[in-house]
Amino acid sequence: MCSPTLLLFRVLHAETPPIKPWFKKAVLLKSYQQSFDWLTPWDKREIRTQSGMALVVNLPLSKKSETWKKDDKKTLYLLTTAEMVADATLIEVTRKDIRQPFQAKLVLMDYAANLALLNIENSNFWDGLNPIKWSPVKNKSKVDAIDVYSFKIKSAHKWEIESGTIQLMTVGHRRVSDAWFPILKLSGFSKARQGFPLLQENEAVGMILETDKRKAIPTQMLLEFLEHAGKATYNSLAHRGFSWRELPQPSTADYFKIPPALPGIWISRVLPYGTGSEVLKHGDYLTKIGKWRLSHDAIIEHPEWGHSLFDLLFLDQLKVGDPLELDIIRDGEAMILHTKVSAYKDDGRTVPLKRVGYTPRYLIQGGFLFQELTANYLSMWGANWRSRAPVRLRLFLEKNKTVLMGNNLNDESELQSAKSAQRFVLVTQVIPDQINIGYQKLSNAIVQQINGQEIRRLKDVEEAFLNPDKGFHRIDFLPGSDRLSAVLPVEGLNQSNERIKSNFRIPKLKSY
Amino acid sequence: MLHNLVKIFFMLICLCSFYYLNAHAKVSGIEHAVFRITNFQQRPDWQSPWKLKPTVRGQGSGFLIKNDLILTNAHVVSDSRMILVNKISSSKPFLADVFAIAHDSDLALLKVRDPNFYLNLNPLKLGGIPKLRSRVRAYGYPMGGQELSRTEGVVSRIEFGTYVHSGIDSHLLVQTDSAINPGNSGGPVTQHGKVIGVAFQSNLRLNDVGYFIPVPLITRFLIDMKDGKYEGVPEIGVQTSSLFNRHYRRYHGLPENNTGILVDRVVPRSSAEGLIIKGDVLTKIEDKRIDAAGMVNFGEQLVSFFIEAENRQIGDSLKVEVWRDGKFHNLSLTLKAPPFGAELRNSYDELPEYLIFGGLVLIALNRNYIHLTGNLSPSLAYEHWYRELERPHTRRDQSVLISRVLPSSVNTGYTNLQNFIVSTVNGSSINTLKDLDKMLKDMPADTRHVVFESEWDNMPVVLDYKKSLDQQQDVLKRYGILSGSNLSETN
Repeated sequence: MCSPTLLLFRVLHAETPPIKPWFKKAVLLKSYQQSFDWLTPWDKREIRTQSGMALVVNLPLSKKSETWKKDDKKTLYLLTTAEMVADATLIEVTRKDIRQPFQAKLVLMDYAANLALLNIENSNFWDGLNPIKWSPVKNKSKVDAIDVYSFKIKSAHKWEIESGTIQLMTVGHRRVSDAWFPILKLSGFSKARQGFPLLQENEAVGMILETDKRKAIPTQMLLEFLEHAGKATYNSLAHRGFSWRELPQPSTADYFKIPPALPGIWISRVLPYGTGSEVLKHGDYLTKIGKWRLSHDAIIEHPEWGHSLFDLLFLDQLKVGDPLELDIIRDGEAMILHTKVSAYKDDGRTVPLKRVGYTPRYLIQGGFLFQELTANYLSMWGANWRSRAPVRLRLFLEKNKTVLMGNNLNDESELQSAKSAQRFVLVTQVIPDQINIGYQKLSNAIVQQINGQEIRRLKDVEEAFLNPDKGFHRIDFLPGSDRLSAVLPVEGLNQSNERIKSNFRIPKLKSY
Repeated sequence: MLHNLVKIFFMLICLCSFYYLNAHAKVSGIEHAVFRITNFQQRPDWQSPWKLKPTVRGQGSGFLIKNDLILTNAHVVSDSRMILVNKISSSKPFLADVFAIAHDSDLALLKVRDPNFYLNLNPLKLGGIPKLRSRVRAYGYPMGGQELSRTEGVVSRIEFGTYVHSGIDSHLLVQTDSAINPGNSGGPVTQHGKVIGVAFQSNLRLNDVGYFIPVPLITRFLIDMKDGKYEGVPEIGVQTSSLFNRHYRRYHGLPENNTGILVDRVVPRSSAEGLIIKGDVLTKIEDKRIDAAGMVNFGEQLVSFFIEAENRQIGDSLKVEVWRDGKFHNLSLTLKAPPFGAELRNSYDELPEYLIFGGLVLIALNRNYIHLTGNLSPSLAYEHWYRELERPHTRRDQSVLISRVLPSSVNTGYTNLQNFIVSTVNGSSINTLKDLDKMLKDMPADTRHVVFESEWDNMPVVLDYKKSLDQQQDVLKRYGILSGSNLSETN
């Protein structure tokens, strides 16, 4: 017969899963991250540390022969978030039962989906560890909020359960990569961190991505990542290949020759990648994706989750490579397009989105620091760079439309030429030297030509400097810059470069 | 002997008294000619251009410059609904009107309606440019009291700077550490009993930094106004960059010991167009050498070479020497008004242009609008500043945009629309708001759709034409708008 106290204890903890098995399935992770300083791109910024977790995962056996896995017997890896390990100089993992930290190495990162795979070469690390058992979320449509659990780590050796709930399965926008992926919206967690597992009835139903925003990536997306991660052709997860807008009103539908009562979404932009990108056109009216009808605001009826944005189909209904039909109205005529589900890709934008693990590209000539305009560079203006960075530079980011690109990226031919990866090259600053006295006020000036050669990327700068004109290098800038042109002499340029390298302790004058 | 000494002593006393009284009389003369100006000002609401903002009361200063004209700053009396002028130590206000106003140089002339106002008043005389470090005195009615205030300081600097009132014009200004505070604007700055400037702005982030408008610009304004019509400060119309870098000077083949400033751009329709070309090096203006920074000697200081244009009138000629193709060339320019549109300056004393159609509020982009909070977006910045520089051949006289939408049944779905820059309407390019108004009025009655397209947005705005017309009066009535448009006559 149980004592009342024991009974009360059992009642109170009736729903809490046992924590001990998770000691062999999850490890603590600490990363030391050091990103580049894009204002002085040969330097790095201060080291910052992040703490979180990594989960022991099992790659599918069929992946044993993939190119980057050297050991056929090995199937266990660690899964965590990309943000935890981006630009890491050192990654340490600690098991619950072993005090000594082990060093981990990054083997694969999908920055768009915020996922990363790690390996530890020391075989002792893996002794006794077991892979996580994954499961889709249960009890989806029965309750308003679904009870789930994670951990709170009081110390390396004191792990406790923390309760929370899943509020919603939805589609989240990852702004740094402009990617839309299914996510779980959580509530109630305050101590759980990146990489922590999301648990339900002793199984993992997701992995926590961002604590303050309370998001987790669901099981199906993680399994998709693990399924394809080893492939040489892997880019990222399944994704749409277009931007869309709701038709505002009947007159707009009438103008586009769309029956006003017909629900659907208007294709406002076709991306260079993603599902439908190869068959859709700007101005198409999409009414059905596969067997799913779209509402006016892109909602479909998901078999598990009910009313959802259509991107949720990529959770578990549509996989990369699946054939797919798209029902559209084009120029007033209904048609069915045949395509395949395809993945997100970094689309080679003119102003590339944030990248990690890449060394900044730059070139110095006569103190002129040439760099390509990137989101990484703009992020030097702080967290609110989208409103604080110089308006002239943000102009090139806004919808990829600029005078240098042409008028209308909705036009297919313009879009194709955009794919040929032009960049905007800036002189971000002039590093002072006697050769460039008088140019010190120049900053963030967009380079149009050097020695008469159009500059479309950083490599063009080096080539252009091979062809001086009558003993001078002439650099022409886009109107609206601090000045329209500058000149460097050929004579003395190399000595100037060496002086600058020495005086400013710059390890190398070019990097790309 | 004693009697003679007493006589001499008595004469000395009289001389000192006479001197003291005379000096005192000069001070009193200036002060009697300095007035407190109260302006009841009502500015347009640029977000809702059919409305005016509440009337606010502003205070500044002014002084008698001619027998019946009071000189003050434009910013003291702009957007006026009523102007009152008070004399020193008098609470009786006198009604006044703006006689002339120059927003480009922040100067204005007032006339008091009651001729009795001017009894026993003597206009102040204009002096010249003060010397650096010389003492000056500022008179005015700044905040902190009601009576006339007098402060003293020295001339700290003389150089070109931005006149904040217009936002874009740059003229000669004199910096002083004499306290110039809000309310001092329009008051005289004097030296040896003469006016050497009009106090007009200060830098509140710095200590003891006030500015006054120097006499040459005042004189230019008065001469300009002689025919009753203000034409404006002329501009040369070139954009330049320095030739400090000796290699750059060599590149242009400029002879040793010669300096000048490089012409990067000649502004279309300017004084320089057709005479000066891109790549010229300006070496002399009138008889003054231009240095590598574009500066010329001006008394003890160096100031921008533009000084030679701004002291002249439109229509005057200006000599320049340029270095071009290995030779010096002497050119004579006829000075014209600045070629950029009024939309680049802050706008005063006029109601904003607008047009309402189908609940869409269409305006012409201008400086006032773009500087409202939240409006400085890259696309608006491009249309306002950069299009002219990068693609001048695509420039339109006005950048027309749908600034906001007044919700009604004809525009549901567009109610969150903001700052939609209109490139074409029904496939036709739009040059001005007035063009658009005419186009909308001239559309055939059986037109189904009005389609507003933008280079900056991949979805057009489409309204039902007939419904928009039918609902026009209802929209205006619902939102309390008296008129569906306010269009300039002079587009």
